[in-house]
Amino acid sequence: MPDPSQIPETPLFDRERSKQGYRMNKMAMSLGKPENRAAFKADEEAFLDSYGLNAEEKTAVMARDWHRMVALGGNLFFILKIAAIDPAVMTEIGAAQAQMEHADFLKQRLGKE
Amino acid sequence: MAEIIGGVGTSHVPSIGIAIDKGLVDTPDWKPFFDGYIPGKQWMADKKPDVAVVIFNDHGNTFFLDRVPTFAVGVAESYSPVDEGWGPRAVPDFEGAVDLSWHLVDQLVENHFDPMVCREIEVDHGLQVPMELFFGRPENWPVKVVPIWVNTIQYPIPTPQRCWEMGKLLRKAIESFPGDERVVIMGTGGLSHQLQGSRAGFINREADQAWLDGIANDYEKYRDMSREEYVEQFGSEGAELIMWLVMRAAMDDKVALKHKHYYAPASMTGAGMVVLENA
Repeated sequence: MPDPSQIPETPLFDRERSKQGYRMNKMAMSLGKPENRAAFKADEEAFLDSYGLNAEEKTAVMARDWHRMVALGGNLFFILKIAAIDPAVMTEIGAAQAQMEHADFLKQRLGKE
Repeated sequence: MAEIIGGVGTSHVPSIGIAIDKGLVDTPDWKPFFDGYIPGKQWMADKKPDVAVVIFNDHGNTFFLDRVPTFAVGVAESYSPVDEGWGPRAVPDFEGAVDLSWHLVDQLVENHFDPMVCREIEVDHGLQVPMELFFGRPENWPVKVVPIWVNTIQYPIPTPQRCWEMGKLLRKAIESFPGDERVVIMGTGGLSHQLQGSRAGFINREADQAWLDGIANDYEKYRDMSREEYVEQFGSEGAELIMWLVMRAAMDDKVALKHKHYYAPASMTGAGMVVLENA
């Protein structure tokens, strides 16, 4: 088992994160079904409540705060399904992780002009 | 007996599939990426395999965290594309090589390698995109598939050494299958990328190029690296490259590097492929 703390700025999805983020990830996983996407769109807060998200988690999801969602144990592969409902492109989500402006992120991290 | 006609390593970035869906293949952003796959596609068309054994990871689409198999093997008659949140993609279903799948399961367990066995399951872009890159978008796929899932999402992920051992066993298993199937092995994932944490957007072009050059005949260092070293060199999600080791280990000690391609970034990922043949 690698020691995640040794790799900078890299939250490996380990035991603690998996335990912490389980509810949020389960909610996000459910968005793979159209009826759940409809329920999410109809009343987002009620939908999050039905998966037992706490106030902090709900705030992060409802604000589309990708950095915070991951900090709370969200795994990107699950929470990306939120970006399918409320479209955000991958590089914008990446920029949010890096806490950079999108244009700066594209240029400095990805080498795009 | 069934025969391994070659091994392919390739990225499976979801935005590649989206680019195909949206007709962006010939746009300036994507054309250099797709053009580089033309020789690989041609190789596949010339070699005419019957079965593709595809080693990939699910990305929170088929498996949730309620049960996380370290390795899983599909034995289904057919695999449909899974809904990843946008609705299932208009990609044809994949016909399963059922008898070969069961034979591989038998042989793996016989040799103390114990995967989950999946009888009814869908597949995400991890399998779809490699198939599209090498076979295009036909009405029906020209090969049957054996999907093999590797957990690269939740730690502990398997060690690179364990992936290597699986490849060794797969080769023995394939070559002991009573049939005349021509089998291509596809190891997928990577190359360098990181999607999470403040190091997001990490791409290591130098390490990617070295990997594409070295995986053929200088593989020992990659086989022997730790998971942590994969994450350091290739980013947290770039550690998916351990799945290429399954493919590489199923080939001869010395192989011919027939084709190679690299392009970065595809979305947020260093992307590319190799085509290997036993020398």
